[in-house]
Amino acid sequence: MAAISVSARRKTEPPAQANPSQGRAALRQRLRRHLTGHGFLLGALLCFAYFSWYPMVREVIMSFQKTKRGRTTWVGTENLERIFADPDFWHAWRNTLLFTVLALVLGFAVPFVVAVLLNELRHAKAYLRILVYLPVMLPPVASVLLFKYFYDPGYGLFNAVLKSLHLPTSAWLNSPTTSMLSVVIAATWMNMGGATLIYLAALQGIPGELYEAAELDGAGLLRRIRHVTIPQTRLILSLLLLLQVVATMQVFVEPYLLTGGNGPQNSTLTVVNLIYQYAFSFNNYGSASALGLVMLLVLAGFSALYVRLSRTND
Amino acid sequence: MADTSTRTLISETQLNRPLGRALYWTVLVLVVTAFTLVFLGPLYWLVTGGLKSTQEVIQNPPTFFPEQIHTETYAEAWSKLNMGRLLFNTLYYAFGALAFQLVFDVAAAYALSKLRPILGNVILGMMLATLMIPSTVLIVPQYLTVLDLPLLHINLINTPWAIWLPTVANAFNIFLLKRFFDSVPEELLAAAAIDGATPLRALWSIVLPMSRPILGVVSIFAVVNVWKDFLWPLLVQPDPKNQPLNIGINSLSIGVPQNVVIAALAVASVPTIVFFLIFQRNIMAGLTSGGLKG
Amino acid sequence: MTRDRLLRRTVALAAAAGLALTAAACSSGSDSGNSGDSGKPAASATLDPNTKVTISIDCQPPTTKPAERKQWAEDVAAFNKLYPNVTINSKDASPCEEPASFTAQLKGKTQPDVFYTYFTDLDQVLDADQAEDISSYVNERTVPALKDIDPSVMKTLTSEGKLYGLPTTNYKMGLLYNRKLFKQAGLDPEKPPTTWAEVREAAKKIAALGNGVNGYGDYSATNQGGWHFTAELYGLGGSMTTEDGKKAAFNTPEGKQVLQNLYDMRWTDNTMGAAQSLKWPDLMTQMSTDKLGMYIGAPDDITYMVQTLKGNYEDYGMGPMPGGKGALLGGADYMFKKGSTPDQIKAGIAWVNFKWLTMGKGQFDYARTKADGLPVGLPQPFLFGGATLDADNKAKAASATVPVQNYAPYLATAVPGKTEPANAQQIYKVLDGAVSAVLTDRNANVDKLLSDAESQVNQVLANLQ
Repeated sequence: MAAISVSARRKTEPPAQANPSQGRAALRQRLRRHLTGHGFLLGALLCFAYFSWYPMVREVIMSFQKTKRGRTTWVGTENLERIFADPDFWHAWRNTLLFTVLALVLGFAVPFVVAVLLNELRHAKAYLRILVYLPVMLPPVASVLLFKYFYDPGYGLFNAVLKSLHLPTSAWLNSPTTSMLSVVIAATWMNMGGATLIYLAALQGIPGELYEAAELDGAGLLRRIRHVTIPQTRLILSLLLLLQVVATMQVFVEPYLLTGGNGPQNSTLTVVNLIYQYAFSFNNYGSASALGLVMLLVLAGFSALYVRLSRTND
Repeated sequence: MADTSTRTLISETQLNRPLGRALYWTVLVLVVTAFTLVFLGPLYWLVTGGLKSTQEVIQNPPTFFPEQIHTETYAEAWSKLNMGRLLFNTLYYAFGALAFQLVFDVAAAYALSKLRPILGNVILGMMLATLMIPSTVLIVPQYLTVLDLPLLHINLINTPWAIWLPTVANAFNIFLLKRFFDSVPEELLAAAAIDGATPLRALWSIVLPMSRPILGVVSIFAVVNVWKDFLWPLLVQPDPKNQPLNIGINSLSIGVPQNVVIAALAVASVPTIVFFLIFQRNIMAGLTSGGLKG
Repeated sequence: MTRDRLLRRTVALAAAAGLALTAAACSSGSDSGNSGDSGKPAASATLDPNTKVTISIDCQPPTTKPAERKQWAEDVAAFNKLYPNVTINSKDASPCEEPASFTAQLKGKTQPDVFYTYFTDLDQVLDADQAEDISSYVNERTVPALKDIDPSVMKTLTSEGKLYGLPTTNYKMGLLYNRKLFKQAGLDPEKPPTTWAEVREAAKKIAALGNGVNGYGDYSATNQGGWHFTAELYGLGGSMTTEDGKKAAFNTPEGKQVLQNLYDMRWTDNTMGAAQSLKWPDLMTQMSTDKLGMYIGAPDDITYMVQTLKGNYEDYGMGPMPGGKGALLGGADYMFKKGSTPDQIKAGIAWVNFKWLTMGKGQFDYARTKADGLPVGLPQPFLFGGATLDADNKAKAASATVPVQNYAPYLATAVPGKTEPANAQQIYKVLDGAVSAVLTDRNANVDKLLSDAESQVNQVLANLQ
């Protein structure tokens, strides 16, 4: 993200400051611009300060504190040591990575393929687009309940369909091997609409001449996708990839509502679920904050690395 | 929306060949059927689930059509879960949040993109950093803040402000808006400045009219975010009279038969679907607009 | 999680509620008369009816429970006849306690003056320093039934000799079974199994019915597997931790027997079905659709199966906890916010006593409960012994709406109640993994699972010191 915003800024840098002879007037004008600028920023700044930045600072402080019998004390790195000693710590990171990878394979590739497909169809366009976006608008409680219902090994729809087709049934959310995949499928269904439409927008921005030129060069369908479609949408793809990784690493609601957070043999316990448990089940807010801090550092590190890599690629 | 004549991956001539045409129609039919099943099928399940009896809903194997239509389940869900009130609250919070975000986030993005005050980039960086921290972690310090705003010492619990104001701190929306405003030509604003237009006037009469698509996108995100939020409204709206749908249904569904819960969820899905169908043209135009192009 | 279960239980239980105005008016009138000239410190005195005081209190039944809500309002009105100057400010939170809001409220000190907690919450509340010591306010005069309240219940509300809460409801776990399936399998529904060997045999016969019917079921997800492991261990006479709570104590022959027994039923007998990793309310759903023969649970699971899943009271029976050496005991209570005035505490105690701890009133007004169409006759709450228990059983029988004889096996065997260990959720989470492994992995090694769990729990407990 940062890389993109920086390059965008360069492009739109205002023309060099006016006459040097009018230095003082220019200075005053600049001062005015800064002041107006901050005036426009004020509302958002206050909201960020109150509801994001200040709580973040408090959170960092809490991650070095402990409250016992009404007394809050500084405990140094004890909270951090504790979360590292917890066998679930590594477990949760493994699960989170698994979720991220699966969610990217499904949640990144599927919408892209669907978008390419939709872009080629000349009929029922509006209908299909509405359908894809519909789940995004459903209340999450409704979507989750639906999937719980479909996945149920007893009265669930999925197994009923599999049985009627004489296919082997699955325990879905109730088996440690399939639970995470089941969560990802549900999450993809709930969220793919947004990504699909963004890809569609990017696809529509590809100049038609490029395809024509490729065709004249004798490029077949797959080669056109590889050499025109993908390079042309690369920027938006890489931006979305970063945002999706950052968002999916923080996955909480889907596993929480679908499997109660842990899942069979802790198979759907994600890092944020572990944070939730520390904070609200185990009455250990310090460790929850410490784990949040670790998460922040990992995501920030990942973003920096990603931006670096995508810059060197340019 | 792209007009059909735009050249895409596959050319018109290719499609007009007999083989191309047959393939196209096969794919179209397949896609339409699959999409209808995958995306409308679950909704069918939701609506008919609400019409079944309690025992039928948890019956194994499941039934595809209700054996007996129980419309009274919907009436029961409506009155017992107090859904009219919940719906009103949800809309009130969603559109209030939308208004605040449109005013404050647009102003902020405009400042960051066009006025570029000193330290603007640092501020943007600090805003984007908030995307890295899971909201679950911040929820307790945020709650403590809302209980007693530092310096002002105001308690926002049980007021709509507790939902409206924190939504303004939305780095993603500010970032989207700023990216779009960046693409508004600087010369236009320079010309306006020479004509003596204030920055506010330039925003109102030049930038905003050009930014309708992205405003649509941000509006949808704003409404959907409030609509979908769970943990935060649960904490800051303890009074059931003030709760939005998500919380209300979830908490009141305890000990209520499954078919009534399903009926309630079906009812809860109606307003968004209607809202979506009415505004789908704008929503789609917004979502597929140039604002998000690479 | 235990909480999830419990809150459902409590909503159902808040059902029972009573009036009997005249009797109440007499008794409390004489009380307040005595207190004036007793010369004791103010704290020990009962509430003076002339005191003007306002208290807020949560867990008012929600609109989805119209009968219970009506009873609450009636009780507040009746209470105000006795104490016209007490203003009760009801908060209808549903669920009564939700972990995230509860934590946030304690941190922000925003809980009501009289607030609802579970027995297992005491540590969290005390760490936040958010409850008043009410030892000096609770005596035979303010809570007349005090001497008959199960001492193990009072113990869960006591820390370092100080009392922090008053119970409103509790449960003891036992064996729930489907009487219809028992009959079909040729078992005697009046004689449920009382040992795990008998449970195994009965499960085999029930599973032999086929058609997807399982003999026995158990939870193994969202910490409920650990919770049930604890209950089953208690049944065999074991303990989860040492007396001081600093070490795990379940890696014993009893602990092994619990896991081995589950393993055998799952893999050797194949009487538990292939679908595992179940959690609340999966077993109730199965039993209410006649797909499950037995599981361990609490009496108000029956209410849930009837009211929410539309089953029939006739079909469900309850027997004592297999093993019979101890039954897991849990429940809910009210605590009093730190910083409350003595009058607020007195008023709160008077209200809790009126609504939840007085025979014939509040939740024990069985005639009203029956008239309002709510169930009467379930063996829950199980708060009292002695004379109060006898009076309760008599009153219950007089208004019973459910087949009380179905719970006779449960009531006939007095299994001592045993409360949950300190830091229960963290311990349960570890054991959840062991139970889940036994039920989903044919090659599970019971000894290793148990010793791994032991070292993990020891680590958890060491970290808490």
